Amino acid sequence: MLRHLFTLIWNRKRANMLLISEVFFSFVVLFGVGAVLITIGKNYLAPHGFDYTDVWRLQVRAGQGQQMPRAQLDDVLRQVKALPGVRTVALTSGNMPFIFSTNNSTFGYEGNTALANVYDADDRYTDVMRLHLREGRWFEAADDASNHRPVVISQDLRETLFGKGPALGKIFTWSHHGPEATKPEDEFLVTGVVDNVRTANDFAAAEPGVWKRLLPHDTTSWETANVLVRVAPGQGGELQEKIARTVAGVTRQWTTEVRVMNDDRLSKRRYTLVPVVGLSIMGLFLIVNVALGLFGVLWYNISQRRAEIGLRRAMGATGASISRQFLGEMLVVTTLGVLGGLLLAVQFPLLGAFDLPAQPYMLAIAAATVAVYVITALCAWQPSRLAAGIHPAVALREE
Amino acid sequence: MLLSYLKIAWKVLMRRKFFAFISLFGVSFTLMILLVMMALFDHLVGPSTPARRLDRMLFVNTIRHQMAEGNGWMNMPASIHFVDDYVRKLKTPEKVGIITASSNATAFTKSKLLALDLSYTDGNFWQIMDFDFLGGRAFTGAEVQAAQHVCVLNEATARGYFGTADVVGRTIEIDLKRYRVAGVVRNVSAGHLYAYADVWVPYTLSPQYFKDNRIEGEFLMVMLAPSAATVPAVREEYRQMMRRVEIPNPKEVQALFSYADPVLESFTRALLNHEDQTVDEDNLEAFYLIAGSLTLLFMLLPALNLVNLNVTRILERSGEIGVRKAFGATGRDLVGQFLVENVVLALVGGLLGLGLAAGALALLNQSHTLAYAHFALNWWVFGWGMVLTLLFGLMSGVYPAWKMSRLNPVVALRGR
Repeated sequence: MLRHLFTLIWNRKRANMLLISEVFFSFVVLFGVGAVLITIGKNYLAPHGFDYTDVWRLQVRAGQGQQMPRAQLDDVLRQVKALPGVRTVALTSGNMPFIFSTNNSTFGYEGNTALANVYDADDRYTDVMRLHLREGRWFEAADDASNHRPVVISQDLRETLFGKGPALGKIFTWSHHGPEATKPEDEFLVTGVVDNVRTANDFAAAEPGVWKRLLPHDTTSWETANVLVRVAPGQGGELQEKIARTVAGVTRQWTTEVRVMNDDRLSKRRYTLVPVVGLSIMGLFLIVNVALGLFGVLWYNISQRRAEIGLRRAMGATGASISRQFLGEMLVVTTLGVLGGLLLAVQFPLLGAFDLPAQPYMLAIAAATVAVYVITALCAWQPSRLAAGIHPAVALREE
Repeated sequence: MLLSYLKIAWKVLMRRKFFAFISLFGVSFTLMILLVMMALFDHLVGPSTPARRLDRMLFVNTIRHQMAEGNGWMNMPASIHFVDDYVRKLKTPEKVGIITASSNATAFTKSKLLALDLSYTDGNFWQIMDFDFLGGRAFTGAEVQAAQHVCVLNEATARGYFGTADVVGRTIEIDLKRYRVAGVVRNVSAGHLYAYADVWVPYTLSPQYFKDNRIEGEFLMVMLAPSAATVPAVREEYRQMMRRVEIPNPKEVQALFSYADPVLESFTRALLNHEDQTVDEDNLEAFYLIAGSLTLLFMLLPALNLVNLNVTRILERSGEIGVRKAFGATGRDLVGQFLVENVVLALVGGLLGLGLAAGALALLNQSHTLAYAHFALNWWVFGWGMVLTLLFGLMSGVYPAWKMSRLNPVVALRGR
């Protein structure tokens, strides 16, 4: 049966070559769009790892080359915290979630290295951001006595650096330093491990993170203070203005910017979504186009092969076996196209293209395969039914 | 001759409505997507308000610092020292204006916070760009020199803050500093990277206005050449000038590279950066090559689809082909006829695509994807759309036409 199908296809190899190449390109398009959609969809469903609702970011700038005296900064923080509606404030670094600013470094521990986002954080940080602590504890005043710099790391970084072994109490450092050449503040003492965080945007994958405890002298060279503010639910513009005026009340030299983190998230989401939506529309259009084309070609082919069908029916073939023959022919053509596509697509996970894990690629390959078969089967189904309905007497009379 | 081809083409198209629909759907959507892309591209780099005299403008968006001892590269816009002491002394440009990339600023109204994009500019900038003033005027070079607290607002900001656009002479408080409104302009699309902002204020008020001899700063330069023909001369003089620039910190910075480019080159130079950044290459050819091949690649699948349909339908025409061949038509005649038919089909699809593209752009404008952007089709886009349509028609017509012309008349006539 299968051998017979191949012979039939070989006899019309030119026309079938066009069909096969069409199936091949459709598979490639579906795979590409599928890989993107699966990757970002999977990310979107994963938790953020922190709570961005009712968090504002407050940036206080002293201007380039001018530093902020710690006493004045403390004064600002104390007064902002005292405002009604403000729950708590925390100092951090400029790479706050959902904005176009990142800061990362490579860390190493006993030969394992990992690239991680580096955040500054004070003892109040987790009260604002509500990270999910898995092991250990957050920083506290008692850490002042520590010889090393206390850090909290994310679970994915813990797995890369420490594997299955214990992490709490271990000391790691930058990957490019020898173990003896580091200063105490560059030796990172793990005091806690938190769940993975996704800070770039709603569709980004989790990235390893290191939260370094701010030491008092860290702030002395700052030109900009980045402050996270957790407010009571339902606060708006009025409190934002009050915060800005409070800062201006301490010193007129500094400029302030108060933004709602959820607004940052939505605006970043729009930036990420526009190209994805564009890509999906293009992919959808190409596939609909191909489906319509396939349907037309098959339908036309069958109307051209009425004589052959009539003869087979006259020789006693059932309608079902006729429609099976056409479906089978189409499936063989599809398989040939898909095989070509698979050869190409499988290179992506094998070569680790774009530094993505293999799983979304494999899912995309599976999804593209299923989609191509479903589309061609649907396109072949109606013409095959037409073929099955051909009456031998009518078809042969035409001949 | 052509007229009868056209008539036949129309009859063939209408013979099977379903096939006509499939073909037109493919052609028109392909062209719609390409036209939308083209309109976006034209919006970014084509002449439009306020950059109306774009063919005379040159832009400098970065100065590349090659660090000493292989410490890599630092790419930064220019400082006032660089602008005043080198660029403003050039002889060929008619005017040199400066602007900063917009930075965040806040204004508070009674009810809400107004997030604004603020840019610092000089007086020349307003003479190089042709903004549509709804009221008032731009601030002048004298006001900039005196570091007066004046500003120009766009319409949206004026309405958001005051509730009306008629606000010249009133005072607005931005980042807790007070500015007098000198003028109000029509909103400028965020796609105009060298002109977009909500609020423009004199550069002398910028915290980045340093008076020392550093080269790096935050100022982008816009130069206006006296005519489009003198643009290459300005580029050359800028190139000469760069050789004379004195490096204030030669221990850290080994060499400086910077170029005055027309708008598209100013993006492609940075976008498709070379491994070796000392090479003076604006990557324009590379950009066109990449864009062209992506377009062809995108058109490949719909074209293949159309080829497939056309080849399948050859038999439908076998009678006609047989008769024409028997009466002495050459293969070339037939190829010509089928190509005309296919091109006609593509043109009909192209017109449909133009309508679809206009609809898609209207949707895009309504969704406010890019602040204040108004994407539109124009003659340039239309012309390129027609070129692409012809290309598409030929791409999908050549193989079926060649195949048709090779039908043996005896076989073709018997097949009837």
